[in-house]
Amino acid sequence: MSTSIEVRDLRKRYGTTTAVDGLSFTVAPGEVTGFVGPNGAGKSTTMRVILGLDAPDTGHAHVGGRPYRAMRRPLAVVGALLDAGAVHPGRRAKDHLLWLAQSNGIPARRVGEVLEEVGLASVARRRAGGFSLGMRQRLGIAAALLGDPPVLMFDEPVNGLDPEGIVWIRGLLRGLAAEGRAVLVSSHLMGELEGTADHLVVVGRGRLLVDTTVGDLLAAASGGRVEVRTTRRTEAMTVLANAGGTVALTDTDALTVTELAAEDVAAALTAAGVPFSQLSPHRATLEEAYMELTRESVEFGAMEVLP
Amino acid sequence: MSLRHLLRAEWTKLRSVNRWVLALAAAAVFTVAFSILASSGGSTDRQPNVAVGPGGKPVADDFHFVHRTLTGDGSIVVRVADQQNSHPQAMAGVMIKNGVTRGSSYVSIAVTPGGSVRMMADFRDVEKRAGTAPRWLRLTRTGAHIATYDSVDGSSWREIGEVDLAALPATAEIGMYVSSPGEIRLERSAGTTSVGERLTTGRATFAEVRVQGSAGSSWTSDDLIQPGLERKGRPGPSGTTEAAGTFILTGTGDIGLNEPPDDTVQIGLFGTLAGLLVLVPLAVVFVTSEYRRGMIRTTFAAAPARTPVLVAKAVVMGGVTFVIGLAAALVSFFVTQPILRAHGFGPPMFPAPSLAEPRVLRAVIGAAVFLTLLSLLGVGAGAVTRRGAPAIAAVITLTLVPMFVGSVVPAAAARTLMLVTPAGGFAMQRAKPATDWLVEPWAMIGPWAGLAVLGTYAAVALLAGGWLMRRRDV
Repeated sequence: MSTSIEVRDLRKRYGTTTAVDGLSFTVAPGEVTGFVGPNGAGKSTTMRVILGLDAPDTGHAHVGGRPYRAMRRPLAVVGALLDAGAVHPGRRAKDHLLWLAQSNGIPARRVGEVLEEVGLASVARRRAGGFSLGMRQRLGIAAALLGDPPVLMFDEPVNGLDPEGIVWIRGLLRGLAAEGRAVLVSSHLMGELEGTADHLVVVGRGRLLVDTTVGDLLAAASGGRVEVRTTRRTEAMTVLANAGGTVALTDTDALTVTELAAEDVAAALTAAGVPFSQLSPHRATLEEAYMELTRESVEFGAMEVLP
Repeated sequence: MSLRHLLRAEWTKLRSVNRWVLALAAAAVFTVAFSILASSGGSTDRQPNVAVGPGGKPVADDFHFVHRTLTGDGSIVVRVADQQNSHPQAMAGVMIKNGVTRGSSYVSIAVTPGGSVRMMADFRDVEKRAGTAPRWLRLTRTGAHIATYDSVDGSSWREIGEVDLAALPATAEIGMYVSSPGEIRLERSAGTTSVGERLTTGRATFAEVRVQGSAGSSWTSDDLIQPGLERKGRPGPSGTTEAAGTFILTGTGDIGLNEPPDDTVQIGLFGTLAGLLVLVPLAVVFVTSEYRRGMIRTTFAAAPARTPVLVAKAVVMGGVTFVIGLAAALVSFFVTQPILRAHGFGPPMFPAPSLAEPRVLRAVIGAAVFLTLLSLLGVGAGAVTRRGAPAIAAVITLTLVPMFVGSVVPAAAARTLMLVTPAGGFAMQRAKPATDWLVEPWAMIGPWAGLAVLGTYAAVALLAGGWLMRRRDV
């Protein structure tokens, strides 16, 4: 199980719209890779190209070193959830999975197994038309797991899931990666991937913005800020400025200090006898880090058109 | 991903949607029900006092005959000195016949103004060679064996053909005959076809007549004619004049099979018209429903080589349609034949058709093939358009509109229409030869032409669909 996805210099236009513009990244086995970007950033297009559904204009997307269209039993290599609604409403859940299994010569018993795995065993004989969006997501995930593939791709899998479902899918994704599979999960909300993704591929306007680990991204976004809560803010500001920090007032009783380490802030305030109720190094959330990145990409994009 | 796997997958897709299974059953029921309806609505007033040939089939047996009785072996030799060009298929020649009852066994050889020497036995052609009057003709009987010859000079003979006619009794009538078919005028207008027939009279001179064997001493002249035909009024009298061994015969009518063009097998299979109204939309939706719901991405992700997907869909849909269509056609055939008989489509003009007759079996299978090819056309059209409504509208329109338009336009236009639209496929359901005499335009082309037209449509639609499927992003 060391199959990976390789996307190299991928370019895809639809008419005059460039959906993907020279994108390159790798999805490594044993990790959950978050594929993040605003709507229209080219995530779904990239996934369709990986699955051989759309043909790239230039570049390629290979799975395990081979183009998807060359695979004889692709469901045993890549499992994908693209669109949970892509089920005939008149077909029973188990029949939907049965024809998929038959198309790749997968034994029919896998149908029962994956339905059990995604928690749909009790509704196996019900028609998909009566399913909630969350149940359809689970059915789509069951379809992806059918061939026990080393590579999995999920396009916005959290959509429509209830909180319990969200917890379930995070556990599922972590578990799949822990088994050594390469897992690619797209989302337009970075927050959804917090605590799930190991690696991040962030795209905007069809281009790669960041390809990094979650740890590195958070450290960079946190920027060494220290938050201080004190009732005597004027005195505190003076003391900290004199100690060499840059201070910003963020609330009536809260300050943000940069260019000073947390212990230096504490020492300076204690020495000056300024009391403080809270002092903590700031931890950026993934959402903040992402907002910062995409804002830059938008500005960068806008500047590009100027002479 | 082999084709075998995809066939199983597509079969599962088809059988796992209840509505589709119901549609398949409905197609069969509608086909049978509409066949019964079509068979109950018709009636026939075709001439009841038609002659019946030795095979039980309706025949024309109208001509002027001058004959003597011949017992045992013998022969007749004549020189047809001249023949009036009354009709290209008019005949002047010699014949041996089992009496003068219309429809009885015979063997003949004659010349025609159209330029052929034609040997017939029991209302079917045995042989045709080039040649016109003046010409010598000879017919010899040896037991059941009869051979015919012609000659330009009366001394060097060529054999035209030979036949064994066990049904001919030892004593038969041998002599000269003249026939001349009527000229058919056909008019097609707004849903009716009117057939007009203008009678013609043939005339020929026979000289140097010699009969060998134990023959009667005197000639008898007989006019074989369909009862009631006299009333239509002939252009000239028929009869014989003889002077110094030279005979001049005039005669009206034709000899040969005279099957009415109405095809009871086809009428009994007409319900496929209702069946196709269900099967074509089903075949289209079998493809387009996947595009509508984005399921085609799941399908192509499971089978990235797309051509086999379309092949599997076509084989499954076509195969199921064939089985359903054949079952419905067989039931329709057996249920409608008694109904048609009760409405006047009975013997002798309409002998009961049997599945053992190759042409009847061909028509019944043809009905199933007709539905199957329409179904394949639907699959192909669905793959081209990716949307249900336009594909269904196109196939149904191309099939039904020419049926109606074809029945109100002149014959040539109607025939062309049948040769260039899927409506021509209806011809596959006919057991009888192509004819211009009926209102239904698909009767104007043969079953194989119908198969070729519809087959071409289905093949082109599938090829175009497959080509587009491979090229398009989904």
